[in-house]
Amino acid sequence: MARYGMALDYKNCINCKACEVACKEENGVLLGADKHRIWVGVNEIEGVWPNLSISSSSFLPSQCQQCDNAPCEEVCPTHATYYDENGVVRVDSDKCILCSYCMNACPYDARYVDDRTVTVDKCTFCSDTRLARGLTTTACQNTCPTKVRTFGDLDDPESEISILLKTRDHFSLKANLGTEPKLFYLT
Amino acid sequence: MEVEISRRRFLQGSVALTVVGGTMAGTTALFSEEEKATSASPRVPKTVTTKTGTGKAEEIPFLCGMCVNKCAGFARVENGIITKLDPNPYFPKSRNMLCPRGNAGIQTAYDPDRLKYPMVRIGKRGSGKYKRVSWEEAYDAILNGTKLFKGLKQILDEEKDNRSTIGYCNGEGLSKEGFETLVGQKLGSPNYVDEVSICLETAGGGFFATLGVYPEIDFEHSDYLIISGANRAEAIITPDTMDMFKRTKGRGIKTVCIDPRFTNTAAKADKWLPVNPGTDLAFVLALTWVVFNENLQNEAFMKKYGVGYEEYKQHILSHKYTPEWAEPICGIKAEDIYTIAREFMNAEAPVYYPGRRSIFSPNDYQLRRAMAIFQALSGNIDKKGGYIYGNPIMLPPEYVNAPIYAQAKPRFDTEGIAFPTLKSGSWIVFRNMILEGKNPYPVRVMFMRKHNPMMSVPNTAKTRKFLEKMDLNVMIDILPSDTAMFADVILPEASYLERTSPVKSYGFLEPAIVQRKAAIKPLYETKEPEVIYKELAEKLAKPLFEISKKYDKDLQEQIKLRGEKKVFKEDGWNLADAWEKPVHEKNKEIVEKAFGPKAWEILDEKGVYYPHMEEYHKQLNPNEFQYYPKNRRFYSTMGDKKRVICKYDHLATRGIDPMPTWHDEWKFSVPEGKFRVITGRHAQFTQSGTTNNAMLRDLIPTNYLWINKGVAKKMGIEFGDMVEIKSEVGKGRLMAYPTEKIAPNQVFMLHGFGSESKGLELAYGNGANDAAILKDDIEPVFGAAVMHSTNVEIRKV
Repeated sequence: MARYGMALDYKNCINCKACEVACKEENGVLLGADKHRIWVGVNEIEGVWPNLSISSSSFLPSQCQQCDNAPCEEVCPTHATYYDENGVVRVDSDKCILCSYCMNACPYDARYVDDRTVTVDKCTFCSDTRLARGLTTTACQNTCPTKVRTFGDLDDPESEISILLKTRDHFSLKANLGTEPKLFYLT
Repeated sequence: MEVEISRRRFLQGSVALTVVGGTMAGTTALFSEEEKATSASPRVPKTVTTKTGTGKAEEIPFLCGMCVNKCAGFARVENGIITKLDPNPYFPKSRNMLCPRGNAGIQTAYDPDRLKYPMVRIGKRGSGKYKRVSWEEAYDAILNGTKLFKGLKQILDEEKDNRSTIGYCNGEGLSKEGFETLVGQKLGSPNYVDEVSICLETAGGGFFATLGVYPEIDFEHSDYLIISGANRAEAIITPDTMDMFKRTKGRGIKTVCIDPRFTNTAAKADKWLPVNPGTDLAFVLALTWVVFNENLQNEAFMKKYGVGYEEYKQHILSHKYTPEWAEPICGIKAEDIYTIAREFMNAEAPVYYPGRRSIFSPNDYQLRRAMAIFQALSGNIDKKGGYIYGNPIMLPPEYVNAPIYAQAKPRFDTEGIAFPTLKSGSWIVFRNMILEGKNPYPVRVMFMRKHNPMMSVPNTAKTRKFLEKMDLNVMIDILPSDTAMFADVILPEASYLERTSPVKSYGFLEPAIVQRKAAIKPLYETKEPEVIYKELAEKLAKPLFEISKKYDKDLQEQIKLRGEKKVFKEDGWNLADAWEKPVHEKNKEIVEKAFGPKAWEILDEKGVYYPHMEEYHKQLNPNEFQYYPKNRRFYSTMGDKKRVICKYDHLATRGIDPMPTWHDEWKFSVPEGKFRVITGRHAQFTQSGTTNNAMLRDLIPTNYLWINKGVAKKMGIEFGDMVEIKSEVGKGRLMAYPTEKIAPNQVFMLHGFGSESKGLELAYGNGANDAAILKDDIEPVFGAAVMHSTNVEIRKV
C-alpha cells in the first residue's frame, strides 16, 4: 500500500522522447503516434525569425495525471476504471466496453484505445510490469537522460518525492478543475 | 479484431531485395518462406513491442551500439527474447540513462530486414539480386570470385602482390579495430578510410594541436557556456547532455547558443544568436579582440602556459578583429559580442563548448584553435568547472604479428591536404583521386564494414561510380544498406546485442572500463565480427601466402633462410593468429592481468569496472548516483605540463596559418533565389543505420525540409508539401516544414534519410539523402568533408 505520485522537473526536458520509447518497450504499447501513454507537449515558438521568444518554446512532459479525484473514474459506467491499492488509476480491460466516456472526461487527453484489446489504455505507473517485479521506478523515470521525473510514495514523508514537494515550488495541470492530480511540476 | 501491427506481415508480396537460388528460387521477397519460418521461431518476438513479464529473467550488461557514445545498459532477456533495455547505473559516462535510440535498440536487433545469411551477387551491381550461400561459399567467393566478379587471389596475382590494391572502410564501433587488424595489418592494405574524415577530425585535431587534449567538460561546476553549432539536446552525447540541461534555464549555467537554426538546445539557452553558417571563427576572433582590448584575460595563466602568446595578442589586435568588424560577417550584433566576451571572462567557471559535431566550414580547424585559445584566456582549464584532461584508465596495449609486404605501395590520397593522416586518410580525396585516375596504382577491391558511404560521404553520385569501379566489394553489416547493395559478397554480422565486444576504457574525469556482453546468441546465420575476421583470415591465409611467395623477394629470402613453416608462423603470415581466443576469454585475460580477478568478476557481472568502484559507487537518490567522490575525481591532472599553443609554427611549413586568421573567402553568401543547405540530427535518429528502426521511425516519420515560413508562403509551400531540393551534384524529394526557426536564405534537412535500398522496408524512398545533395568540398588541413558549403534550389513538386 502506497500512494504513488510523480514530480517532474520539467525544465530539464529536452524533448528527446526516451521516456516514450521506454514506456512502449516496457509495457508492450502499440506503435503509432496516437498510441502513447506518455508524451512531451511542445509549444511552437512565437516570433518571427530572428526575433524568437525562447521562453515561448517549452517542453512539457505529460501522461495520466493520476488524479485523486479522477473524472474518468466518475463517468465509467462499468467501473472498469478504478483506483488500485496504490492509488493508481487503472483500467480493467475485461470490464471496459469502449463507451469512451472516460476519454472525453479526461481533461488531460491521457487515454487512448488499444487496438488489440479494443479497450481504453493509459499510463499505469508501470504497475503490472516494473512495480509488480518489486522495482521502485517507472520506465520513464529510470531512463530519462536529464532525470525529469521522481516517482515515489506521497504518504511516506521520507521519500524523495515528499522531500522534493516540501522543498520546491510546484504546480499541477488544470488545478482549477479540482481533479487533484498526483503529478507535480516543479518550478 | 486482429490489428496488431506486425511489420513482418507487410513483407509478404512487397518488392524487396531479390534473393534467388537454392531452395528459394522464384521468391521475390527479401525473406524466403523458410526464413519466415525462422522469424517465427521462439528466438524472435512475434510483436513489435513486448510487455515485460514478472517471471524469471536474465539481466545482461551491454554497451549500446545505436550511436558512438557507448552508454551502458542491462538487457532483460525472458525466454531467450530481449524484452527491455534498461540503463546501467554503474557507468559514470552514461549515468543511468538510455536515450530514445538506446531504448529502441531492440528494434534494430529484431529488425525483420536484417541481413540473415551470407549472400553472393548474381545480378548487376546495385540491382539487389543475390543468392543465399553458406559461410564457406561466401568466403570462397571472396577468395576465388564467381562468374560475375574476380576474387582476391586473381586480383592480387595480377597486381603482383601489391596489397595496396585493397581499400577498406569501417564505421565507428567496438569491433572496428579488429577489422583494421584484418585488412590493414594482416592483409597489408594502407588504404583505409572511415568516419573520422566525414565527422569531427578538425575538432579533435584543432584542440589537440592547441591544448594537447580534446577535453571533457565539468558541467557540474561550470557557470557560463557558449555552445556553437553543437546541438547537445538533439545530438545526444553522454555525459554532456545529461549534465548540461539539468543546470540551464536559470539553474546555474548561463547559456549562449550560437546556431543558424533554432534547435532544442537553443530552446534551453538564455540567449540564441543565429550565426551565418561557417562564420563562427569571426565571432570567436572578435570575442578574443574584446578580451585583449579590455585586458580581461588571465594574464598570469597565459604567460605561464601560452606558447606564442604575445604574438597572438598582437595578431588579434593588429588585424582589428573588432565586434564591429565581425557583425556583418557572422550576423551577430557587435553589442552582443562585447557582452558575451565580458560575461565569459567575468564568470567563475566559463566554458566555450569544444565539440562535438561534423565539420561545417573549411575554416573549422582554425575555429577549434581559436576556441581553445579563447577558453585558455579565462584560465579555466585543467580544473573544476572547466576543460578536463583527466586520467583515463589505460588498458594494456595489444600486439599484432603483422607480415611485412614488400610489394605494397604507400597510400596516395594527399592531394590538396596539408597534413594527410596516415591512419584514416580522407574519404573524399581517396575516392575522388581514384575516380579521376590520379591513383599511382590500381585500387580494385573494397572491404567494407558497418559503414554506409552512399549516405554518409558527400556526393553520392561519385561514391556510386567509385563502388562500381571496383573489381570486388565485400560488405560486413547488419542491414542491407544502400552501400551493401554494391557488394559482391555480403557477410551478415551479429548486432550489438548479440555479441560480446572487446573491453574498452572511457572517461577522463570519472574513468571506467566497460564490457559489452552478448544478451542473446547471434540471430539467424549471423556471426560476431571477430568470428568473421578469424574465419576469413583462415580462408585467405595460405592461398594469399602463395601469391606473396611468388612476388615478394624479402619473403623468398626469409623462406630460404628459415624455412617456409617457420616464416609462415613467426612472421604473421598466419593471418588468423590475431583471433586465437574468443573475445570474452581475451577480455578476461586482459582485465585480470591489469586489475586482478576481482575486477574481472565485477566487470563481467556489472558491465563496468573502475578501481575502488565497490567503495565509491553509491545511489544518492532515485535519480542520482555517486561514481567517484568529489575528492577522487580527476579535475586537475596536468600541473605545469599544460600548454596553450597560440602560435603553431609547424602549420606554416605546409601553408596553414600558424595562428587563427580570418580570410574573406569564407564569407557567407547565397545567390538570390537559392538556399544554403545545412544538415544535422534529431535525438530520435543517429544516421542512416537507424532509419529502418520501427520505433524511431514511429517518432520521426521522415526528414522534413525546414524552410523559413515567410519564404515558404511566398513560394506557395505549405506544411507537408513535397518539394525538390537540388544542388549542382544531385537532388532529392522530401516534405516541407515551414518554420520561423530558420533564416530566409537557408534550409535544413535531417541526415540519414532517403535510402535507395529496397531491402529496407521502412527507410526505402523515405525523404531525401543529404549526401546526394552536398558538394564534396574538403577543408585544407586533413582533407575532411565540409558539410555546409552547398547552395540549393527548392521547388514545389
